[in-house]
Amino acid sequence: MRLPVLWAAFGLMMAAPLSASAAEGVTSSFPAPGKESGRLKIIGAMDTTAILPLINGFQAENPGVSVEYSDYVTNDLYEEADAACRRGESIADVLVSSSVDHLVRLANDGCARPHRSALTDPVPDWMQWRNEVYGFTHEPAVLIYHSDFVDPEDVPRSHADLADLLRRKPTVFFRRIGTYDLRASGIGYLLAYLDSQLAPTIYGRLVESMSRVEAGLYCCNSEVLREVEAGRLFIGYNILGSYAYAAQRRNPKLRISVMRDYTHILSRGAMLPKYAGSGDLGGRFLDYLLSPQGKATAEKEGISFPWEDPQVSGITLPPSPLGSGVGRPIRIGPSLLVTQDKLGRDRFIADWTAIMVDSRSLQAGPVWSNYE
Amino acid sequence: MIRHETSLFSRLALRVTLILSFGAALMISAAWYYGRSAANQTFDHLLLGAALQMAGSLSIEDGKLTASLPQSAFEMLGLAPEDRIFYRLIDTEGQTLTGYGDLAGYIDYTAARQKPVFLNDEYRGTPVRLVVVSRVLSDPPLSGWAYVLVAQTTAARSELTQEITGRAMLLVALMSALALAATILAVRYSLQPITALGEMISRRDPQDLTPLTLNAPKELRPFLGSINHFMERLDQRVVLLQRFIADAAHQIRTPLTALSAQIDMLDEREVSPAGLQSVERIRTRTNELSRLTGQLLSHAMVIHRASTVNLEKVDLVLIARQAYRTAIPITVNPDIVVSFEADQPQLWVAGDVVSLREAIVNLISNALCHGSVALLAVRVGVAEGRAQVEITDDGPGIPPEKWPLVVKRFMTTKASEGSTGLGFSIAVEVATAHGGEIGFREKLPDRCFSVLLTIPLWQEERD
Repeated sequence: MRLPVLWAAFGLMMAAPLSASAAEGVTSSFPAPGKESGRLKIIGAMDTTAILPLINGFQAENPGVSVEYSDYVTNDLYEEADAACRRGESIADVLVSSSVDHLVRLANDGCARPHRSALTDPVPDWMQWRNEVYGFTHEPAVLIYHSDFVDPEDVPRSHADLADLLRRKPTVFFRRIGTYDLRASGIGYLLAYLDSQLAPTIYGRLVESMSRVEAGLYCCNSEVLREVEAGRLFIGYNILGSYAYAAQRRNPKLRISVMRDYTHILSRGAMLPKYAGSGDLGGRFLDYLLSPQGKATAEKEGISFPWEDPQVSGITLPPSPLGSGVGRPIRIGPSLLVTQDKLGRDRFIADWTAIMVDSRSLQAGPVWSNYE
Repeated sequence: MIRHETSLFSRLALRVTLILSFGAALMISAAWYYGRSAANQTFDHLLLGAALQMAGSLSIEDGKLTASLPQSAFEMLGLAPEDRIFYRLIDTEGQTLTGYGDLAGYIDYTAARQKPVFLNDEYRGTPVRLVVVSRVLSDPPLSGWAYVLVAQTTAARSELTQEITGRAMLLVALMSALALAATILAVRYSLQPITALGEMISRRDPQDLTPLTLNAPKELRPFLGSINHFMERLDQRVVLLQRFIADAAHQIRTPLTALSAQIDMLDEREVSPAGLQSVERIRTRTNELSRLTGQLLSHAMVIHRASTVNLEKVDLVLIARQAYRTAIPITVNPDIVVSFEADQPQLWVAGDVVSLREAIVNLISNALCHGSVALLAVRVGVAEGRAQVEITDDGPGIPPEKWPLVVKRFMTTKASEGSTGLGFSIAVEVATAHGGEIGFREKLPDRCFSVLLTIPLWQEERD
């Protein structure tokens, strides 16, 4: 009954991803507060509302710059940037994506322009590569739950807990857990791939458990959060901490659980494409992101995860984030290229699809997804 | 032979510097070469390791070749943190399985069947180092050769090469500087004997023509031998010359005596008054000539004795008194008060009686001829541990600026007065031969001018 519609929607999504969600693929313009002297074009995989404080902060320091922001899904952002790079065209002055592996791949393919300044020098090695890709936040991939529906003793504190919970109470959580659709979300794929590398057994159990309860699959953080907020989902898995925190502030019933076994810490990346138009405007925006003001704004506005708040942050960053703590920072560097291997990626997603999607369609129930 | 010639030192230093620079350049080139090959080896191992890991990840699933690239392979390549990575997996059909399909499309992969092949290539406008490894698959559905190509940009290699070369350069520069410093020191040290020889020659008394005795290094001996040989010949010539002068003086003396006698025998009455004047002039000149001849002879005698006669214990008071008697003629101008004074009855010195007497006679004669107006005093005494003969006259004396001149041979302060100037010269020769010297005491308003002959006292412990 709904199945054909769904598949049609899938096809549509692959062909014209921009139409998949009303919130994504939208271009917004922010005119210069002062007399316009330059135009900065940003393409990002961030909600427009999320990046708005940073754009405002940048414009406060550079009143002559008008900003144009286009919001893409991470995968589309990569495709577009890669295609533009091959054609030698300018696509934007800055690319911002939480899917840093895409940016690393672009830099590896020679599609990035190095940028160095007094502000880029203190960036630690693991948060930058070749002075081309810079991480400007670090935030954990967390679990968010709705406290009305998840009993306190049931709150998962580790990945194994989550798998167990789904097994113990399959009826409670049937279609009540949401996570990324790896086919659409680059960040979803990255986190799932890293899960599979870090803890293959638990990853297998988790995927299997989620498949059994027919987890909802979404393109983006905001979709999952919207559903959890609405109470249609009880648990959202692998949500970026900043989004989760923002959602929690909007709705106190939402709670964040930071996994105690391991938690990926992701840096949103920014990069200057090789072919960019307006001089050094991109570099100035990058500098702003790395500047203390930019960081403070990001923290204040919930773009970066508030590590200092013990209420939400069950873990603290070890003094050296690369140390073997709970937090596992995702190092920005060539090792991320493996996630971009087409063969491996196709296989991984195919395997995942086989478990999460196909096995379901073979069973009685319909595939349950947001692309309806 | 006035030709600008650089110093031995600068010649040596220049050549050593040239050789060192050449050597340093050679070593730096070698260091660069080794640094490059070391860097290449290091990173080639990483590259090969990654490629082998990737080849190991090839597997056959459902009759199809597939691969799950290990993250560790990329982490290994990530040890060159700034370098970009390109790879390509080729299946048994020669088709690209995954990776960069246009990577090194032109090469012959089959060469990698024997062993991994490394080559330098360019990809997307950047120089890369590329390795090809092979893997043989022999599953029934799928058999043949699969290849893995891994390329990496060369930033880390260049950096390592530069680092190694840079450090080697530092070491080479340091060693060269040390070697140069050591060479300079060594050259200076080995040139020291030359300086010593030069100083020895310049310090030498001009009269001393005896062979140089210097502990010179072997290389300098021919040079030293030449100098000594030359001095020997010079000495022979000087002796010959002295003998010739003595002979000449001796030969002149006889006709001169005859000439004096002839002048004395002239009947002055038969000579016109004008002729008388001429005769008087001839007599004066003849006397001067006699004295000069005498002095020449005595000079030759003194020099001869200085080199042949051994010094013995003699009484200076006695000698001075004899000289005083000899030098003061009986016909001395009665207006002049002459005196002889000895501080002690006897004063033993090491000397040659004849030479010393000759010297003192000459000094007293000089004072009489050129100095004394109304006073001539000879005094023998001890001053500052040395024997001293002091001849004082009330004449005008010799101004201090001329003291160095008058002790030279044939030098006089009064060129027009017919003096020969040999007197001081003889005294100086004698004083030098006795290890002493001739000194002067300046004329002051309340003090008369004195000439001093100073020689060492007799030392009993002398051999």
